Amino acid sequence: MSDGKGFRHKGEKIVNTVCASHCGGACLMKVHVRDGVITRIETDDGREPQLRGCLRGRAYRQRVYAPDRLLYPLKRVGPRGEGKFERISWDEALDRTAGELRRVRDTYGPASIMLAQMTGDVCTLNNFGSLERLLGLFGGFTSPWGITSFHAGVYASLVSYGTYFCSNTRDDLVNSKLIIMWGWNPADAVNGTNTCWYLARAKEAGARIVCVDPRFTDSAATFSNQWIPIRPGTDTAMLLAMAFVMIQGKLQNQAFLDRYTVGFDRFRDHVLGHDDGVPKTPEWAAAITGVPAATIVHLAQDYAMVKPAALMTGIAPGRTGNGEQYHRAAIALAAMTGNVGVHGGDAGARAWESIMGGFPYPMNPMVSCIERVPNPVEKGYARKPGPFSYREPRVHFSKLADAILKGKAGGYHSDFKAMVIAQCNYLVQFPNSNKIAQALRSLEFVVVEEQFMTPTARFADIILPVATYLERNDVTYGVGSAYIGAVNRAIEPRGESRAPWRIAADLARRMDVQGYLTKSEEEMLEDRAMANGVYASRRVRKTGVSRLNMLIPYVAFRKQIEDPARNPFPTPSGKIEIYSQQWADLGIPGLTPVPQYLEGRDGPGDPLAKKYPLPLITSHLKRRALSQFENVPWLRELQPHTVMISTEDARVRGIRDGDMVRVFNDRGTIDIQARVTERIMPGVVDVPHGAWYSPDSRGVDRAGCANVLTSEEHSPGGSFTYNSGLVEVARAG
Amino acid sequence: MVACKDWHDVPAGPASWMRVTAIERGQYPHPFVAFMAGACYHCAQPVCLKACPVQAISKREEDGIVLVDRGLCLGRDQCDKCLKACPYKAPQFGAEKNPRMQKCDFCLDRWAEEKLPICVAGCPMRALDAGPLEEMEAKHGKTRHAVGFKYHERIAPAVLFKPKPENMPLPI
Repeated sequence: MSDGKGFRHKGEKIVNTVCASHCGGACLMKVHVRDGVITRIETDDGREPQLRGCLRGRAYRQRVYAPDRLLYPLKRVGPRGEGKFERISWDEALDRTAGELRRVRDTYGPASIMLAQMTGDVCTLNNFGSLERLLGLFGGFTSPWGITSFHAGVYASLVSYGTYFCSNTRDDLVNSKLIIMWGWNPADAVNGTNTCWYLARAKEAGARIVCVDPRFTDSAATFSNQWIPIRPGTDTAMLLAMAFVMIQGKLQNQAFLDRYTVGFDRFRDHVLGHDDGVPKTPEWAAAITGVPAATIVHLAQDYAMVKPAALMTGIAPGRTGNGEQYHRAAIALAAMTGNVGVHGGDAGARAWESIMGGFPYPMNPMVSCIERVPNPVEKGYARKPGPFSYREPRVHFSKLADAILKGKAGGYHSDFKAMVIAQCNYLVQFPNSNKIAQALRSLEFVVVEEQFMTPTARFADIILPVATYLERNDVTYGVGSAYIGAVNRAIEPRGESRAPWRIAADLARRMDVQGYLTKSEEEMLEDRAMANGVYASRRVRKTGVSRLNMLIPYVAFRKQIEDPARNPFPTPSGKIEIYSQQWADLGIPGLTPVPQYLEGRDGPGDPLAKKYPLPLITSHLKRRALSQFENVPWLRELQPHTVMISTEDARVRGIRDGDMVRVFNDRGTIDIQARVTERIMPGVVDVPHGAWYSPDSRGVDRAGCANVLTSEEHSPGGSFTYNSGLVEVARAG
Repeated sequence: MVACKDWHDVPAGPASWMRVTAIERGQYPHPFVAFMAGACYHCAQPVCLKACPVQAISKREEDGIVLVDRGLCLGRDQCDKCLKACPYKAPQFGAEKNPRMQKCDFCLDRWAEEKLPICVAGCPMRALDAGPLEEMEAKHGKTRHAVGFKYHERIAPAVLFKPKPENMPLPI
């Protein structure tokens, strides 16, 4: 029944494009258009593996035509943050923006301009290259550092494997006999189109699937044979205990370790307690993790003996106080079991691949169609030492608010006066929202590129309206699968909205920036496609997708394993570094040369736990992509935004299912509906991130924004820690 | 659910031709969760049809698809007999005043062009299928029971399941 052409009503044309939402997938869309208006959206109905869209992509029509879409440039007319704006012309908006940025640059120096930019849509033209180039040519700016989603995973991969391209394509899951989904919930977070479909096929093929997670997620419900609830932030302890079980039982693949790794002996010494007197026994881990010792023993034995086995490490446990250790420990286990570089195995590095790994195309958002230029503010500064470094002076993304509020007096390299915010709901998606609001109020100028009046946009002086990806051309790419997607304009931009690359080009003229653009949009997209080996780009633009035809799944490190003499790992030793001399040399407390369990802030031993006894996690909600889609009615009605609390924790607090409750700590308070459930570990609460911060006159956030509660302190290696925290919950009112 | 609302232009609100519900049972640390997708089962003996006082509901001879003529429907303020009759909550009503009944029409427009219903074509897990009952039985078996679903012989809903085993092994 599938002819790949889709269903067409009279008078309609169908535009094939690829969904570029930051949901974790990249799916084919057949957009029906009549008289320049989108009437409905179909998805892939061609040959398998089809790239079928999820609920978010299917609801995109309501996003394009939302009554609250920003269609015209706006300027602030009330106090900053109050949300009162007036429509202005593009000329006025661009002149004002250019003028203010020039004034701030000339008065305080270019470093006083901060760029807060993320990847609103996953595109290669309309991504962060444009503003970085613009501001670089303008004289410079202060750039943040830190990867919001998976800094710890990337750092651990670089240290251990020398690269972040560590994942197999998803179709390889079907070859696994055992899949351990560790803090990994693709049913909500997608993590690659078809990831869940391949998991279902793996299960049908007889794979045993184990979920290690504080929540009985939809992934656990759908795929797992066993659910192992674990206390948040203690994953490393359980992984070390699994290593202990393997070492005690001589279950490790010693031949693999001898041939492909360095430093296992030191790791073994630590696991056995030879260095610190503490053997990392299952009983030791049970007391920390809440996982029974016998469960740890069984999982360790299974992982050591069932071959091949894929340890799929979600990135959520890495967004904690010592997230690097979790990823490093998982990599050590993958090596101990010899599951690296083989079909059905996994390198254990990071189950979220795509953006920086597991992807045979040389494409990631670090590569932009618009070429970056060196940032003059960073000129003359050395790179920080270490395998994953940046040029100073930069500010960690989670500390921008602190830097704005303290400036030079707080030890930062500059005072900060202006902020350019693009593709980024900064106030919602970064830790300590109340502090961010305070920081934004203190700036002299804030310009925001947005599609909606987000909590962040409310703090703008000037808002520049952005076209959605259904209104512009671009190139995107598959997540954990080998394909490139053509993002094709289905309709003209609504109102006066413009594509981000064009906004930057418009600004360049007003800011007297020379040489900003040398190519047309079409040329830039062609070049990007060509760079990725897609030559028939015109055909790709028509069908929407170019797939790499692979007869067998892609397996990371296959060459290194099959022919190590010719293919050393790109680490200093040429091997998988279970012991990292690079980290030993760095000497940063917390970045230990072998993986260790270090109790972070917000652990059971934190003195704050007396006051705020409940560890917090901040999960993904199926109906949002980070904070996007929050305002889409078709999605809102599917799932209320709630705090998950166990029956036992609710009972002792007199909370019933559906009650409004208050979740709070020293950083702030949110009001939110309670979901009393058997599906979360007692003693843990979950507030999904992405709700649109909306404080009342007393400063209580009525929207339930998780980041009101989270900490801006990052891990020793630079991981955001907003999947952790300590809170208390009480009935509201 | 969203694909259905987009295809049929059903606004957010109480009417959902396709509904997916989570069935949650058991206690920590052994919860049981299953998902049930239900639209209209286009029953062999549709009780809604019999209940309707104005013959607004019909079952097509050629393929058994049950349809509602919204022009004939009296509206829920006058009558909700179909809703009361249907054990599967297939009749749906919007938020407007005296809403007329609406429900899954098997994507008749797509069916006429030999296209599968939008829910089937859209399910990312390929968990749904649709077609003549005998064909479906040959393809997927004849199981008519699932957690959260009761098969009524007298109505004979035209639906099959590949049910999730209710007693999952959950050793901890």
